Amino acid sequence: MSVRPRFDPNRAARHRRARIGMVVFQLATLVGIVVLMALLYNIINNAFGLAAIEYRIYPATLGLDLETLPQTPRERLLEILETHLSPGLRRSLERTRPLTQRSNEELAALVLERVLQPKVLDTWPLVPSLLHTQDIVAEVHARFPQAEVRWVRWLNTRFLTRPQSSDPLRAGVRTAILGSLWLVAITAATALPLGVAAAIYLEEYARKDRWYNRLIQVNINNLAGVPSIIYGILGLAIFVRALEPLTSGAVFGAVAEGVTANGRTVLSGGLTLGLLVLPIVIINAQEALRAVPNSLREAAYALGATKWQVVWHHVLPEALPGIMTGTILALSRALGETAPLVVVGASTFITFDPVHPFSKFTALPIQIYQWTARPQPVFRNLAAAASLTLLLLLFLSNGIAVYIRHRARQRRLV
Amino acid sequence: MTETPAVELRNLNVYYGSFHAVRDVTLAFPKNKVTAIIGPSGCGKSTVLRAINRMNDLIPNARIEGEVIFEGKNIYDPDVDPVEVRRRIGMVFQKPNPFPKSIYENVAWGVRINGFRGTKRELDDIVEEALRAAALWDEVKDKLHQNALALSGGQQQRLCIARAIAVKPEIILMDEPASALDPIATLRIEDLMRDLVQNYTIIVVTHNMQQAARVSDYTAFFSTDESRTGFLVEFGPTAQIFTNPKDPRTEAYITGRFG
Amino acid sequence: MRKALEEKIQHLKNEILLLGSMVEQAMRDAVDALKRRDVDAARRIYAADRDINNKRYAIEQETLITIATQQPMAQDLRVLASILEIAGELERMGDYAKGIAKINIMLGDQPLIKPLIDIPRMMELATSMLRRALTAFVEGDVETALAIPAEDDEVDALYNQVYRELVTYMIQDPRTIDQANYLMWAAHNLERMADRVTNICERTLFVVTGELREFDDTDAEATSDRPASQA
Repeated sequence: MSVRPRFDPNRAARHRRARIGMVVFQLATLVGIVVLMALLYNIINNAFGLAAIEYRIYPATLGLDLETLPQTPRERLLEILETHLSPGLRRSLERTRPLTQRSNEELAALVLERVLQPKVLDTWPLVPSLLHTQDIVAEVHARFPQAEVRWVRWLNTRFLTRPQSSDPLRAGVRTAILGSLWLVAITAATALPLGVAAAIYLEEYARKDRWYNRLIQVNINNLAGVPSIIYGILGLAIFVRALEPLTSGAVFGAVAEGVTANGRTVLSGGLTLGLLVLPIVIINAQEALRAVPNSLREAAYALGATKWQVVWHHVLPEALPGIMTGTILALSRALGETAPLVVVGASTFITFDPVHPFSKFTALPIQIYQWTARPQPVFRNLAAAASLTLLLLLFLSNGIAVYIRHRARQRRLV
Repeated sequence: MTETPAVELRNLNVYYGSFHAVRDVTLAFPKNKVTAIIGPSGCGKSTVLRAINRMNDLIPNARIEGEVIFEGKNIYDPDVDPVEVRRRIGMVFQKPNPFPKSIYENVAWGVRINGFRGTKRELDDIVEEALRAAALWDEVKDKLHQNALALSGGQQQRLCIARAIAVKPEIILMDEPASALDPIATLRIEDLMRDLVQNYTIIVVTHNMQQAARVSDYTAFFSTDESRTGFLVEFGPTAQIFTNPKDPRTEAYITGRFG
Repeated sequence: MRKALEEKIQHLKNEILLLGSMVEQAMRDAVDALKRRDVDAARRIYAADRDINNKRYAIEQETLITIATQQPMAQDLRVLASILEIAGELERMGDYAKGIAKINIMLGDQPLIKPLIDIPRMMELATSMLRRALTAFVEGDVETALAIPAEDDEVDALYNQVYRELVTYMIQDPRTIDQANYLMWAAHNLERMADRVTNICERTLFVVTGELREFDDTDAEATSDRPASQA
């Protein structure tokens, strides 16, 4: 016999509805987590694993250990180069710089590149590599009797410090990382001051009951939602074409005739991304300014402060942590943008670092995009490693944002 | 009230957009006295207070008619700088709002932006004097460079008072200065007001009738009409208002039978 | 804390002391004038009672304003309520002095049937009790306040003595009945004054402890509760 609840006869039904609601919300959260895990799984799965590698001369036959190649005695390296390089190649190398004057690392690199000449025949992702190691080894022996099966960490220090190369074992992302950092720096240098200034105008000065200020506000909100490719086209038209003398550095005489990037420079890219994130920076900064309690402004005004003093001494410092976190998050978005850079004309294959704003450049997402388009399976691994690098960079910048926010909150409480 | 008033309202009307917030207030605030403004919610107490140092200018579409005479001059004349008005007529707010800076900086900032050109030592003296006047010095003298937000609510409010008096205003406006504080801190602020009134004219808005009775020398009672426009009902010595009000609406309000 | 309230209370206590000394002086002058049969002085004393009444109203007004504006609680509230009460008591004592002055006026140019000895002594005792009772009230001195009512017995004893003496005069010579009656009335006023001092002492106990109690059950009040200054 069931006892009717005394106060709320609908309690059972209410509890059931609440349970259903909760399950739905939990499922939604779960889907998000699963998707995120799948993404991470995919990237990590491809960034590590077994590879079948073939050498022109196997290291073992020369008594070399690949892991400790630069530690090999200098005499031995010189001797190997002496015996295994063709006389013509040796002469040309000697002409560039005598072998005896080169460092151990350089000699080891030469040995690897010119003598051992490793070549990746096939790769396996992390999970099959772990689960079916024997099968893979057997398969490699069957398909490539010459090849050697090795564990490869595609994301390693060499990968981070080497420039782009068409040889997958030597290709790295240094140029791309530097390109991305240049882009972010230029983006920050333009979008931050402009965005903060605009936000201060809109929040502190503009009268919100004026139609033109409302129009500006609505437009900024809409601009934040414009697809990034449109910004790319805009950047192409303005920075690459119309302002070419400026963005190519020609008017500054910064670039020697003939090697100019014709406006397709890191500066153009950075400015384009600056345009792209500007509305976001403005909106974030406005948000941060709006979060500054009005009582603070009133306190300053009541002491006979001018508007400038109120904004400059109190409102801006108080909003700064919020502005910085917002800006960093906007820059994170810029860090991951590909489409506008493609349109503006980022190079997909350059092997030299960007050294000034008028350099040709590539960026991490461009690099990833380019590698995924290659037919050879090994580039998938490189793309995964580069993706992981990009993710780590984003993680780092978001971490900085969180840290700033945390410190600002602590400062208030002390 | 034979002596010249500290500030005088003449036919003051305040509008927010099309809303008529306060109607035809004519009222002279005596010098070196505490005048309390009391009345039910929405009767325009704070609006009147903020009209006295042009804080309403900061509210978009607020409009003032009539005159506020301060030292023989209407502060709403076009040649009057509101920044100067606010320096000479200070304000303390409902919620303690110290700057998120050190205690010292809180007091020193107002002095500096008002063109202080003295030495560090002179500034130290001004800060100490203001903190003493606000009965806060003994509690904070060893931690002047700590963040003001670490102080208790009552201490923060006294810091705000110190900050206001550091710039040497003639009048201090207080907008429910103790409503966010506990009873003990409230009584402290009230004692402080009695001390300060030796040197300053204080105008205090409070929704706490008992507080108005305790601290003020004069009381102005405001009410609202059916269109929610605030107006002055009665003004007189506090002792009279609270024991023998002339207007039946005042009597109804202070005896708790209305509002 | 609560400086304003404390200042008010202090001021009101001073006013009470002032009113007390006015009453004391009036009583002293009234008895003195009666002793000397100085009708002119009695008229002045009779008129001066208005000052005592005004002072009482001023104290009442100020106390009410203080209660209205300062919202006293606990001991502060008891002090202010007691001040209201004591001001009333003092004003009544002033009326006793006025009553004695009035007797003096009514006696006209009659010489006294006997020199006054016990009545001035009663006056000395009663005014001394009043002075000390008010000091004890202002200082919150319960010990003194508790000790004073006992002295009332002495006043009562003197009153009984005056009573018997005057009755003897009346029996011996019926022509003295009129004056003896008046003098008995004067003595009675003094006796009542001492009773009212006891009430002040009760208030002191009330202020300090919150306890309200009658001090002396053997008080003569029950036997001699007649209006004092009827005329």
